[in-house]
Amino acid sequence: MVRLTTVELHRLVARRMTVIGVVGLLLITLLLLFATWLEARPSSAVEQRAAQSQYEIAHQQWVDGHVANEAACNEQWEKQPDPKPKREDMCSYPEPRPEEFGKPPAVFAELMPDLLHGVSYLLLFAAFLLGASFVAAEFSTGAIGNWLTFEPRRLRVYGSKLLAAAIGLVPVAVVVLGVLVVGTYLIVDQLGSTATTTGKVWGDLLATAGRAVVLTALGAALGGVIGLLLRHTAAAIGLAMGYLVLVEAIFGNLLNKVQPWLVRLNFEAFIRHDTTYYVNQCSSTSDGGYLCNSVVKTLTFERGAWYLGILAVVLVVFGAAVFHRRDINS
Amino acid sequence: MPELAISTRGLRKTYRTRLGRKVVAVQGLDLDVPAGGVHGFLGPNGSGKTTSIRMLLGLIRADAGTMTVFGRRVPAQLPEVVGRVGAIVESPKFFPAFTGEKNLQLLAEAIGVPRRRVGEVLEQTSLAERGDDRFRSYSLGMKQRLAIAATLLKEPDLLIFDEPTNGLDPAGIREIRETMRGLGNQGRTVLVSSHILAEVEQVADTVSIIGHGRLLSSGTVAEVIGGGTATTVKVAVDNHEAATRILAAAGMAVRADGNYLLVDGAGQPAEITRRLAHQELYVSELVPVRADLESVFLELTAEEKI
Ligand SMILES: Nc1ncnc2c1ncn2[C@@H]1O[C@H](COP(=O)(O)OP(=O)(O)O)[C@@H](O)[C@H]1O
Ligand SMILES: [Mg+2]
Repeated sequence: MVRLTTVELHRLVARRMTVIGVVGLLLITLLLLFATWLEARPSSAVEQRAAQSQYEIAHQQWVDGHVANEAACNEQWEKQPDPKPKREDMCSYPEPRPEEFGKPPAVFAELMPDLLHGVSYLLLFAAFLLGASFVAAEFSTGAIGNWLTFEPRRLRVYGSKLLAAAIGLVPVAVVVLGVLVVGTYLIVDQLGSTATTTGKVWGDLLATAGRAVVLTALGAALGGVIGLLLRHTAAAIGLAMGYLVLVEAIFGNLLNKVQPWLVRLNFEAFIRHDTTYYVNQCSSTSDGGYLCNSVVKTLTFERGAWYLGILAVVLVVFGAAVFHRRDINS
Repeated sequence: MPELAISTRGLRKTYRTRLGRKVVAVQGLDLDVPAGGVHGFLGPNGSGKTTSIRMLLGLIRADAGTMTVFGRRVPAQLPEVVGRVGAIVESPKFFPAFTGEKNLQLLAEAIGVPRRRVGEVLEQTSLAERGDDRFRSYSLGMKQRLAIAATLLKEPDLLIFDEPTNGLDPAGIREIRETMRGLGNQGRTVLVSSHILAEVEQVADTVSIIGHGRLLSSGTVAEVIGGGTATTVKVAVDNHEAATRILAAAGMAVRADGNYLLVDGAGQPAEITRRLAHQELYVSELVPVRADLESVFLELTAEEKI
């Protein structure tokens, strides 16, 4: 099994599709870094001057009017019926500060989590694609028949392929995430603020990246299962796309109560460590009307982890059963 | 009883087509392939040769019947003997984008054969110079040779070639034939399937003829001819007149053909030798006429088609 997995890893690495996929991922990562750099870049002298004059106008208005405004507001407040809102909430006129005008500075601790979440989708997609093509190619070319005359123990053959796909994509994910985090840090350190990056922030980022690596490996293995079931890379991608559009997007939107049972939300709950979603709750009112409210609900990390784990086990076992019995006729 | 490389009993496979129609591809095949030498596995297109071979290799499941390879139950004990079996089923299938060498390296690595074997088998199949080219760019003959090279990685005792000469030019056909003969002479067992009898009879020591998924006849080439009714044997003997008289008296049809006699209806060719020797006439040459093996084949398979 170890030997077979090693062979499969060699094949994975030797494939042109794998090389193209990895280069593509790295290019996209560099593009993201470039976008971050554009975001974090200080604004031009013209924009800065505009912001400065905006600030000066606002400040002058405040100097001129805040005493009178406050007094008027206080009078209004006295007249409010009980329970009164807090006076500070209603009648505070803080002095404008220069940093409130113009472009806000980039903050690493705020920027990085969203970038990681975005990239984890990308990694999952790439891993699925590479895993599917890795296994499907053997069936569409017929090479699997020849392979099985060298190793007829099908479950080993199956296991080694999924394992190789999963293991092979771990370093890819690590490098992509590493480049992204380090690159973003260096950029923001130069142009924005990294001061708020506490140990806890680093810990959370590391955990998120770790979960992204796990999902990448899982995506590659499940891509392999789908590639094996459908035998053609294009069919596997078609199925994944069709499912995402029809079930996850359209069906999920029409019937938003099913969202917690769909892959996307559970993926999000896992990668973000809890996530929220909206459902419409409608009910008849006492006066005979019908009222709908959008209610925020939470899907927990644990729930997402269980969901993805069970989904993976079911798919892998199903693929094993199919391959174990399948007649290899080409 | 000689050791058997392959033995099947009551082997059966029914395919279900997309439209739900059933196709009985193999129906109760009893096949015995003796160990050592070349065994021709003959039958018209669609007679179930490929299906039988796939079942032997564990690529498809049999619906019924038993199979053994070197005495081991297949497919249950296939992992124990697979290292002794090299097979090419239908056309050679490898990863098209990898080089011939890379394809072999992966296979060698999978079975734990040292890398240098790859160079050796490429050399043996005259592919050493093209080993660095992609499999996709190979001619059919080269693909076939690469497939043979792959089977040789294992140094197998049993080689199974399914219609190996399909689509090859005469030079390619001859090359494959020589390879098979060479392997047979080394004491290995070669099972070669074909729908063209003439292609196999020159190299085969023994043959099995199947039609509609059943065994029709098997044995040495001579035996199979003898079993047919349309046997013609070319006989060289000194005294044509006496020989003609003796054989005609035994119910055989005799014609003269230059320096030879053509004898029909002899049953076993050995019968001719025996009858003549009895009268002190000695046969200096006894050759089954090639066209007749073809007609045995056609006759046997035609009967099946009714
Ligand atoms: N995958 C398949 N599905 C349905 N029928 C098949 C399949 N493979 C072969 N057959 C049918 O089974 C019979 C035997 O085919 P095969 O074993 O390929 O014969 P041969 O190799 O002797 O030409 C044929 O009638 C063929 O059409
Ligand atoms: Mg065939």
